[in-house]
Amino acid sequence: MAARATLRLAAIMALAVSLLSLGAMVLQYRLVEDRLMAAQTKLLSADLDGFAALYDQRRIIALRQAIDYRATAATGGEMLLLLDRNGTVLAGTQPAWPEGLATEGEGFSVAPAREFHSGDTRWLAVARELPGGFSLLVARSLQPVDDTLAAMRRGMWGLLAALLVAGGLVGWLAARSVMARIGRVNDLADRVAEGALDARLPGTRSPDEFGLLETHVHAMLDRIQNLNRATHRLSDTIAHELRTPLNRMLQKLGRIEGQEALTADLRAEMRQAIRMFDALLDISRAEADQGTGGGLVPVDLSTVATEVWELYEPLAEDKGLLCTARVAPGLSVLGDRTLIAQMLANLLDNAIKYCAAGDRLTLTLVEEGDRHLMRVADTGPGLPEDMRGEAFERFVRAERDRGIKGHGLGLALVRAIAARHGARLVLPNGARGFVLEIHWPRLQQSG
Amino acid sequence: MQDRILIVEDDLETAATVRAVIEELGCEADHCDTLEAGVTAAFTQPYKVIVLDRMLPGGDGVEAMARIRAGGSTALILILSALGRAANRVEGLEKGADDYLPKPFEGDELRARLRALLRRGTMQVLDNDLLAFGDLEIRLKARTVHVRRAHVAVSPKEFELLTYFAQNAGQVVTRMQLLERVWNLHFDPGTNVVDVHVGRLRRKLEEAGSQAIQTARGEGYIFAPLQALG
Repeated sequence: MAARATLRLAAIMALAVSLLSLGAMVLQYRLVEDRLMAAQTKLLSADLDGFAALYDQRRIIALRQAIDYRATAATGGEMLLLLDRNGTVLAGTQPAWPEGLATEGEGFSVAPAREFHSGDTRWLAVARELPGGFSLLVARSLQPVDDTLAAMRRGMWGLLAALLVAGGLVGWLAARSVMARIGRVNDLADRVAEGALDARLPGTRSPDEFGLLETHVHAMLDRIQNLNRATHRLSDTIAHELRTPLNRMLQKLGRIEGQEALTADLRAEMRQAIRMFDALLDISRAEADQGTGGGLVPVDLSTVATEVWELYEPLAEDKGLLCTARVAPGLSVLGDRTLIAQMLANLLDNAIKYCAAGDRLTLTLVEEGDRHLMRVADTGPGLPEDMRGEAFERFVRAERDRGIKGHGLGLALVRAIAARHGARLVLPNGARGFVLEIHWPRLQQSG
Repeated sequence: MQDRILIVEDDLETAATVRAVIEELGCEADHCDTLEAGVTAAFTQPYKVIVLDRMLPGGDGVEAMARIRAGGSTALILILSALGRAANRVEGLEKGADDYLPKPFEGDELRARLRALLRRGTMQVLDNDLLAFGDLEIRLKARTVHVRRAHVAVSPKEFELLTYFAQNAGQVVTRMQLLERVWNLHFDPGTNVVDVHVGRLRRKLEEAGSQAIQTARGEGYIFAPLQALG
């Protein structure tokens, strides 16, 4: 998984920085452009002042001499042209008047000036009509200005690209480092979720927000672990505190003589109470261990299924049920043999309890895709429709079954054991009788 | 010499019941009420069996088994504990207990188990594969049963059941013992499933003319093939 949030944050940061820089650069660009234009205008103005002074002294002749003189020493940075009233060139750096440029106004002031293009070059020009029909053009090349601005623009694009790349790089580095720090905590959480409640991060906490997070996570885990230990201790304590007095009662029952029927009843009641109590503890234990691989070993599911089936089959046959088992051999799961046996015993015992003579009882175990499908099906009364949703809750029993012995924990234990093994329970719709499918995760064969 | 059995148990009433059962069996009982005292006592006498509680002052009996064994005691260990869920029982047996009886327990159940343990200590090794009880013969390797030389067809489970009976011949065997030893299941299934299996085996033997399996009033069964039966 990539650190999307961090990357997004870094991208936003890089973009913001780039935009702000771009804004600053544009401002500076405008400023430089204005200054450079002003400087060119000033130069043009100085030129015009010079020509105005010459014109004041000796009119066109002086102008013509001055332009001739300047044309011979032309630098290319200026354009000068003097025409007579017929359009004949009297003097200038150019052979002809630039196309599309009209004279406007009289005199030698710099305004109005206008820009025009000649070839690739931009010029700032003042075109005037002098008395007697003479046309005067004084222009300055804007090439140096354009060169400078172009260089500036190149610089700006380069800087922008560099900023974006730098932003991306910083973002990636930040994401990587954050991911590494967060990844440690995530791995820890995964290990804890898998049941290793005592897992902790090695090394010292760094004095930053990640260190703080790790410290908090550790504190939380310590608390969970203590609670878990307390729960386990509590169930042991409850077992001890309840079974010890029950034990004394049972010993005393043994001393009662002459009331065999009553004492046998009491014994059966006590046994029933202990079974219920064990089922409750088994359920909470299985739920507490849910999702943890701890304590599970490879178990031959086919063998356990066959064993439990063979244990119950004669009982079912004696009751008049038609029994069929179809168990594919050699299917293994990661599990707890005793729990799996308990689960199946509960299901078969239920089926035998609720079915009547002539009903059918089937156990199937087959491989199905990446799962082992175990199916216990009977043609008995099944679950009442309104109970399907809660049949696996503790102490839920159907009203009609009040007369049948049971504590309402059998299916709850089945569910807890399935969950402990990561197996999925399915009650197929429309089935007649009670049908339960258990989808076991297959044992990953190594080697 | 009488066999000695050590009781490590902190509930005095339970200890008294256990002592009574042991004395009924004709053995002598010693009692300790803490784990440390029990572990120390285990080395002072050559005990045949130690009846060990789990949640004792001083710790868990199951964790002390290794120390008792490491100290050189050859006693067989029966855990007698209020930690009686299937998971607890399997854990105790996996950690090396020879038997595990959850509280509350019946005196008869404890007696049957102690007898089985005492007997295990003295059982001779059978190097031939024939177990013969009068006209009932069990061949271990061939897994066959004969009564009066006639073959009796038994299922594999019934054969195991019969073999277990034969190994404890003359003694009461409880349903719980059968479920644990023959089916290797350590939880109470609620219904007496075992009865149906014993009933079937018993009928097969009776049809062949053997009355070897008898019901022992409410406690379980007894395999007594050589008794004269009326």
